[in-house]
Amino acid sequence: MTAVTDQDHTEHADHPGEGTVQDDRSVSQDRRRLDGRGLPEGGDAGEAPGAVHRKGDPSEGSARGGHTEEPEAGAERAGPDGRVEGELRGGPDGRSGVPEGHAGSTPRAGERSAPETRGAEPGTGAGDDVRARGGDDARARGRQDLRARGGDQEPVRGADDARARGRDDVRARGAEAASSGDDGPDVPDGSSPPWDDGLIARRVNENGGAAEPAVVLESRTGVGGGPQGVAPLAYDGPLRSRLDALRELVGLSRARLDSRTLAEAGRVLDEAAARRKLSGQHTVVAIAGATGSGKSQLFNALAGVTISETGVRRPTTAAPIACSWSDGGASLIERLGIPPRLRRRPVQSPESEEQLRGLVLVDLPDHDSAALQHREQVDRVLRLVDAVIWVVDPEKYADAVLHERYLRPMAGHAEVMFVVLNQTDRLPGEAADLVLDDLRRLLDEDGIALSEYGEPGATVLALSALTGDGVGELREALGQFVGERGAAARRISADVDAAACGLRPVYSAGRRTGLSEQAREEFSARLADAVGATAAGEAAERAWLRNANRACGTPWLRLWRWFQDRSEPPTGRLPLRAQADAEATARQRVEHAVRTVAEQASDGLPAAWAQAVREAAVRGAQGLPEALDGLAARAGTLFPSRPPRPGWWPAAVLVQASMTLLQVVGGLWLVAQIAGVMAPNLGVPVLLMVAGIVGGPLVEWSCRMAARGPARRYGQEAERRLREAAAGCGRARVLDPVAAELLRYREVREQYVRVTGVGAAPR
Amino acid sequence: MLQNSPEIGHSSHVVTLDVRPQLLDALSALRDRVAAARFPLPLAGAPRARANRDELLAQLDDYLVPRLRQPEAPLLAVVGGSTGAGKSTLVNSLVGRRVSEAGVLRPTTRTPVLVCHPEDQHWFSGMRVLPDLTRVWTPHQDVGDDLLLPDENPARVLRIETADTLPPGLALLDAPDVDSLVADNRVLAAELICAADIWVMVTTAARYADAVPWHMLRTAKEYDATFVTVLDRVPHQVVAEVSRQYGALLTKAGLGDVPRFTVPELPESAWGGGLLPATAVAPLRSWLVHHVQDPGARQHAMGRTVYGILDSLTSRMPELAGATAQQYAAALRLTAAVDGAYDSEHARVRGRLQAGAVLAGDALKRWRAFPLDCTAGELLDALVESLSSLIVCAVTAADERIGDAWRREPAADADGLADPDATRESAEHRIGLAVRRWRRELEEYAEEEVRGLERSPAPDPELIAALVATALLGGRRARPAGEGLAERLGAHGALRLRDRGGRLLAEHVDGVLHAERERRLAPLDGLDVHAEPQAELIAALSLLQKER
Repeated sequence: MTAVTDQDHTEHADHPGEGTVQDDRSVSQDRRRLDGRGLPEGGDAGEAPGAVHRKGDPSEGSARGGHTEEPEAGAERAGPDGRVEGELRGGPDGRSGVPEGHAGSTPRAGERSAPETRGAEPGTGAGDDVRARGGDDARARGRQDLRARGGDQEPVRGADDARARGRDDVRARGAEAASSGDDGPDVPDGSSPPWDDGLIARRVNENGGAAEPAVVLESRTGVGGGPQGVAPLAYDGPLRSRLDALRELVGLSRARLDSRTLAEAGRVLDEAAARRKLSGQHTVVAIAGATGSGKSQLFNALAGVTISETGVRRPTTAAPIACSWSDGGASLIERLGIPPRLRRRPVQSPESEEQLRGLVLVDLPDHDSAALQHREQVDRVLRLVDAVIWVVDPEKYADAVLHERYLRPMAGHAEVMFVVLNQTDRLPGEAADLVLDDLRRLLDEDGIALSEYGEPGATVLALSALTGDGVGELREALGQFVGERGAAARRISADVDAAACGLRPVYSAGRRTGLSEQAREEFSARLADAVGATAAGEAAERAWLRNANRACGTPWLRLWRWFQDRSEPPTGRLPLRAQADAEATARQRVEHAVRTVAEQASDGLPAAWAQAVREAAVRGAQGLPEALDGLAARAGTLFPSRPPRPGWWPAAVLVQASMTLLQVVGGLWLVAQIAGVMAPNLGVPVLLMVAGIVGGPLVEWSCRMAARGPARRYGQEAERRLREAAAGCGRARVLDPVAAELLRYREVREQYVRVTGVGAAPR
Repeated sequence: MLQNSPEIGHSSHVVTLDVRPQLLDALSALRDRVAAARFPLPLAGAPRARANRDELLAQLDDYLVPRLRQPEAPLLAVVGGSTGAGKSTLVNSLVGRRVSEAGVLRPTTRTPVLVCHPEDQHWFSGMRVLPDLTRVWTPHQDVGDDLLLPDENPARVLRIETADTLPPGLALLDAPDVDSLVADNRVLAAELICAADIWVMVTTAARYADAVPWHMLRTAKEYDATFVTVLDRVPHQVVAEVSRQYGALLTKAGLGDVPRFTVPELPESAWGGGLLPATAVAPLRSWLVHHVQDPGARQHAMGRTVYGILDSLTSRMPELAGATAQQYAAALRLTAAVDGAYDSEHARVRGRLQAGAVLAGDALKRWRAFPLDCTAGELLDALVESLSSLIVCAVTAADERIGDAWRREPAADADGLADPDATRESAEHRIGLAVRRWRRELEEYAEEEVRGLERSPAPDPELIAALVATALLGGRRARPAGEGLAERLGAHGALRLRDRGGRLLAEHVDGVLHAERERRLAPLDGLDVHAEPQAELIAALSLLQKER
């Protein structure tokens, strides 16, 4: 056992250390995982010995189990003063319990108060805890004497439930130690008010005899039955994976969404984790309803004894009252924040004990009276219980506040819902059925699935708590419901459904999302426009063609052109052309291209992700024009101002020259004949000359034809290079970050689909 | 069966001494102002303001104005309360006959029922009060049958019954539930209560601590209306205790002096839909009869409600005025966001133009190739395209900026206010049109200039236009274009052409951006949110106060 303890200790101690190194998200995840895993182990280890010990002093066994761990843990959290005291009290035997006590309390503290503050300022952490559970402080006080007597000598851990209690005691004690040490400036709330509660609690414990014998009973069976006593709740596979997915989802999207959006999901996770640590053998059922509907009456009817005050005074019940049919549910009740003085036991009768075993019934105040704090309490408790019995009466069953404020939003929780029409004794004869049908109709309109013909859904019953009519039926239904032990998981599952449904607008896109190939191409084309690829290509083609013409043209034509060029003033050409331009890229086109592509990419995405995509695009676009400028400049140097000449040019030039030569020779020959130097022979020189005159333009024309292909290729090559360079630049700077962001969204979306579950259609 | 005669309501010419015509005029002016108040922007306070306005309007139309015009009309007592409080049973018992359907299914009363003495029927069959409810009139017998025509909206009709057991001068109205699950019923109930001279609030032993009825009671107190409360369906074992506790709650709320009647729960009152014995409702009945028949009491009851409502205007009108002011402020903020975005984009466009940003990319490449490898037409095309892309970019950037600013404004969620996507393509189209028009005009200028030139050979007008455009759009980089222009046209002509072209350009750019801004603001202008209603409301109120 010591080995287990040690292992436990190191595990818990290590994690926070790692956590500080890692980023924030993984810390919280680790911590949650830690909650889930660390505790059951400790619980298993501690179970048997705790039970053995409690045999001797049953009513206080749980307290003692906790108290052994208490001094060190309490002192650590309360500060130096507390520490001294704790060690004094702990004694040599008590020390072996220390690591486990410390380890056990760590994750819970991390969950309740902010992790950072817990590490840095133990004192305030403890203060928070004390404020949260003043009642437990009182309990601890009540048992102080016992603890002083002999608690220290037992290095024994209780079962899980006992540990939970013990830990709370630890917390309270720690604060107490601190306050007694230095008058507790940091725990102002924890010291005085609970004292009164403590007195009352003690008195109730002494007077309300029902509670203590029952504890005896329970711990005895616990000894015999072993794990059957108070095993923590276990979720089934699908639910667990959905919770994991939700946790993952929250972690993934924390950077993108504001905390308010995620608050509900976080709350569900916290509640699921908290509920999981508590007893799975118990089902907490709240009785809720309007004022005067007879909640307390029904509560009493189920308990078989008048526990909750009933009356004509409205509103009657002001604070929730709990009633537990079997033991081990104390921590559950504690979670609801119901102080010990408001915890009761039903009347002892074997058959009701058997039927409703594991039921923890909570009587709530009304939700519709002028007393606002009642409604707040109802809202708070309703979030924590496993199931709800809605009590309505013939007068109020169609109240807007019930349906609009509670039933409609909770429609997804139909499976853990009973709707009970009370006070049927006020209805004559068949009217009860009419009203019940009408109630069913209204519930149906609220979107609540009704459990008819064995389908899952809310159970609707009519009864009269006053006469007892139909109470048996409810008891039977409740007994079956509680016996299934599935309510807590179903409730959590419905919570997850509701949270997923609430998150739907931030995760789910209306249509297919992503960047289409067409959009990418458009973007590249726009960038190419911005650097002027088309124009550059055309210019290059024409320049080549011009050069070819110039090279292969007849000399006469060249002469004429040269003359014309001289007469016309030059324009934008040279000499300024040689220098590189400062802003060769059209900034507005780049900006527009980026905006368009960002819009296309974020089209249909939920707002937060669309924003992220746009930001990624804009971030990538910074410096893009400059990069494109550089690109264009490099491409310019790659293409020298004089295009390369193909191999056949010299031949063409030679032919052209020979044609000119032919003309000249023919001409000279003719002149010579005219001058009489040579024998008159008209045929040959004319032929030569005509061949030269016709051949020159012919060669020029054919050269031009031949040059067209290479010129086009050359221009296209120039255009392609620019285009590709611009596209590559755009891809690296804009498209890739956008795609990464889209991928992240897709991941989250998949996670979200996992949260909604395969079978559960999102409502 | 169905009577709908709006003319009868305006036949009155009787004005009593204490109601001067000026007061009525001031009141109807105020009523018009209230009716004209609009809250189209979805601000946080807008739904409340709308509800307040509707309520105030209902009170003015259904009660205050008709009452002041005709003080001699019968008193109307509206029976209101939660669902299942037994309102219909109470009305039936007061009348002594089943006039309104009672039952166990909730909500029972979906059609309001007005009961009056046969002699008084003409007061209600017209549209004097509750003008927007259709009157349905049934002869006495078959109450249980389906009264509604199939296509009639049950919430918007008023059934009128006559019973001679009621004293003349008193009318009872059985209203639907104030907290009904049917939202229309709730609205209607509130409206009906606004029309009452006497409010009869019914609650029950199980409900007397409910929040909704208490809200109603507080409202009644706020308006200082004449009202009585009825604690209905009290099981007789606990009559004393419940009654005492209810009294204590009322006293605590400052309503201790309100007449309070207790009606026990009897088997008849429950679910048979039957009538309570006359003794059970006798005190309430005699109280009502007394207030109807005793002139002093009648005057008092009526006057209290009337003046209560008039007094409540003092706080309600400024509230409405405040809400309109909020609307106006929100509209101003939205407009300012648009103006700011377009102003800054306009400035940016001007800066970019001056820096020669248009002569970049394609246009720059063309210019570099000009004139050897590029024609003047191509250069002009490239320039025009580049210019239009600059303006499109500015407009979309402004839209984005507006989107960002508006996202923080709740008022921007109003219908049809933000849909830039729908107009994006057409914006490009419009800008393209404007820029091409500029090009055409520029070419005309160039032609004019060339024609006026007595040099031969005359330069090509298109070439001149291309050079001018380059010089205008190219900034420093296009200096050679300016030089070329001067060579061809002479320094004077070149300068003149550049000036004209520059003015034309500025004109077109301003025009395009202005048009886009107006287009963006049009839906907001369409909502018609102005500063005036605030002042008008306050002015109407002060006029009314002066006339009282």
